[in-house]
Amino acid sequence: MEDVTNTKIADEVQERLAVITEADILVGIPSYNNAGTIGHVVRAVQAGLAKYFPGKKSVLINSDGGSTDGTVEAVHRASIEDFHSIFVTHNKRDFFKISIPYHGIPGKGSAFRTIFEIARRLNVRACAVVDSDLRSITPEWIDLLLRPVIELNYDYVAPYYLRHKYDGTITNSLIYPVTRALYGKRIRQPIGGDFAFSGDLASFFLEKDVWDTDVAKYGIDIWMTTTAVANHFRVCQSFLGAKIHDAKDPATDLSGMLYQVIGSTFDLMEIYHDVWKNIKGSEPVPTFGFRYAVGLEPVIVNYEKMIEKFRLGAKELSTIWKTFMPDDLHDFIHNELSRVPVRSFNIPDDVWAAIVYYFALACHGKKINREHLLKSLTPLYIGRVASFVIDTWNSSAAEVEEKIENLCISFENKKELLVKNWEGKTDSKGEQPK
Amino acid sequence: MNDALQKIFLDPFRGFFENVLDFLPHLLTSLLILLLGGLIALALEKMFTKLFRAVNLDRVSEKYGIPEILRRGGIKEPVSFIFSKMICWLTLLIFLIISLNALNVTTVERLLEKFFLYLPNVFVALFIVFMGYILSNFLGRTALIASVNAGLKMSGIIGKFVQFTVFFLSIAMALEQLGIGKETVLLSFGIIYGGVVLALAIAFGLGGSNAAREYLEKRIKGEDEKDDIQHL
Repeated sequence: MEDVTNTKIADEVQERLAVITEADILVGIPSYNNAGTIGHVVRAVQAGLAKYFPGKKSVLINSDGGSTDGTVEAVHRASIEDFHSIFVTHNKRDFFKISIPYHGIPGKGSAFRTIFEIARRLNVRACAVVDSDLRSITPEWIDLLLRPVIELNYDYVAPYYLRHKYDGTITNSLIYPVTRALYGKRIRQPIGGDFAFSGDLASFFLEKDVWDTDVAKYGIDIWMTTTAVANHFRVCQSFLGAKIHDAKDPATDLSGMLYQVIGSTFDLMEIYHDVWKNIKGSEPVPTFGFRYAVGLEPVIVNYEKMIEKFRLGAKELSTIWKTFMPDDLHDFIHNELSRVPVRSFNIPDDVWAAIVYYFALACHGKKINREHLLKSLTPLYIGRVASFVIDTWNSSAAEVEEKIENLCISFENKKELLVKNWEGKTDSKGEQPK
Repeated sequence: MNDALQKIFLDPFRGFFENVLDFLPHLLTSLLILLLGGLIALALEKMFTKLFRAVNLDRVSEKYGIPEILRRGGIKEPVSFIFSKMICWLTLLIFLIISLNALNVTTVERLLEKFFLYLPNVFVALFIVFMGYILSNFLGRTALIASVNAGLKMSGIIGKFVQFTVFFLSIAMALEQLGIGKETVLLSFGIIYGGVVLALAIAFGLGGSNAAREYLEKRIKGEDEKDDIQHL
C-alpha cells in the first residue's frame, strides 16, 4: 500500500520547496478547468497576504487536476503589478507561488492531500484553502480565515457566507442539519469549500488513511469539518460575506455528487459513533467577522420538473425504500406525495429527518448495496428541495434562515430514533427483533 | 412328473431365492451406506451452520444484496441456512450414488457412470444460472437507479431490459454448457436480441422521430430546461 503521508511531488517542485525551506502561511487553491476565475482568486489571495500578513513568509499552492483550458497558465500569469494602488508597503520577497499537478484519484480531496503534504514539509503555522471558481473572494477573506488560527490559536475555521436561498441545497437540507444534530456544533457551512486550519491539524489530516475513498473527491469538505469537530480541535467560523461562484458544469452528476458527500458523512458516523451517540442538542461556535446584508444573484428554479423527478423515483424505487423504511413513512412517500397537487407538495421537516436517518441506518446495517442505497436517495432529496422551494418562494433571507433552523431542530429531536436503532435495540425499520 | 414340476416351478424359485440371498448383503451394505451418509450429512449441516455463523456469512451476503434477491424469489431463509442445507443434500446425494453402486447391478453402474461424466456440466450450468441471476438483478437495479436519476420516464423498462438481457445471456451460456442445442441456442439468442434492438431502433426512428429531433435540438442548442440550483 502507498504510504499515506508521502504523495508524489515533482522534482522541480521539490527543489523549490527546498529553497523555501519553511513558511508561516500556506494558501492552497485546488483547480480543474477554472481558467476563467482562478486569476482573480490568485490575485485576491496575494493581495490579502500582502495587506494583512506583511511580515509573514507565505506560499500559494495551486494543486491542479490536469486542466486543459489554461488554468495553470492563468495562475502563472496572475499577479498584482501595482501594489501601491492597494496598500502602502509590500515585501515581494516573502511570497512564493507554485502550481503543481496532484496524483491519485481525480478529485478535490486528492488536490487537498498534496496541499497538506506541502504544508507539513514547510512546517507552516496556518493554512487556508479556497475554491478556484469564486467570483466574490476579496483580500479580506484571507484575513478572516487565517487570523483566528494565527492570533487566537484556533485549529479550524469554517466559512460563513450569505448565499442565495436556493444555493447550496445539499448543505441546507442535508449536511448542515445532520452534522449539527450529530456533533452538536452549529457550523453553518460544513462543506463550504473555503477553510483555514493550523499546521498541526494539516498533519493530523495527512496521517489518516482515507485517500482512496470518497474523501478524495467531493467528500473532503465534510471529512475535514467532522474530523476537526469529532477530535475536539478548536473550531470557529468566519463571516466572509457573499459567496458567488461559477455555476458547476451542467454535466456534473448530482447523484454522484450526493453519493460522495452523504456517503462520506455516513462513513464518518461509523468512525465517530462513540462521539455522537451521547450528544444532545447543539451549541453555537465562535463566529468572527462583521455581518452585513448583500444582494445576491437570482437563481432560476423549476420545481415542477423536480417534483416530476421525485414522482418517477417514488414509482420506480419504492421497492428499494420499502426494505428499510417503516410502512407509514413508505406509504406517505409512495402514495400520498404522488397524489397531491404540485402547489401543495410538501415533505415536512420531521419526515425528511426520518428519511435521512433511515437511510443512515440502512447504510449502517448494510441492508442493500451501498451505492444503490445512497444513489436511490437522489429523487427524495430532489423532492425535499422542491418542497423547500415551494415553502420559501416568497420568503426573505431571514425567514429562510429561520426555516433552516426549524429543520435543524427537527433533526436534533429525531436523533433518538437514530441512536436507538444504531445500536441494534430495534431493527432499521424501528421494530423489535424477534 | 416330479422332475418336471421341479424344473418348471421350484428351480426358478430356488434361483430367485439364491439371487435374493446374493443380493441381500449388497442391499444391506447399500442401506447402511445411505444411513451413514444421512448421519454424516446432518452432522455436516450442523457443523457448517455454526461455521457460517462464526464467519458472519449472512452479514457479508447482505452487503452484496443476496438475501434481497433470494427474498424476491420467495426464499426467506438466511444464506447460511441455505448453504448448510445445500452441503447436507450434496453429501446425501454422494452417499446415495455410492450406495446405488454398492448394489452391484450392471445397469445401474452404467447409468451411474454416464451420470458421473455429465454431473460436472450440470453443476457448472447451475452455477452459471445462479451467478447470472444475481448479476442480472444487480445490473438491472443499477440501470434502474441511474435512469431514474437521469429523469428518464422509461426507467422501469430500461431496468427490466438490462435485467432480462443479462439473465437470458446466462441461460444461453448454461444451455451451451449442458450441450443442449449449442449453436441453436446462441443463434436464437442473437436473433432475438438483435431483433429487439432493431425493433426498438425502427420504433424510435418512425414513431419518435419528432421527439428525437426535439431532443437533439435541445442538446445542440442547449435549450434543455435546466434550473440554476447549485446543490453544493
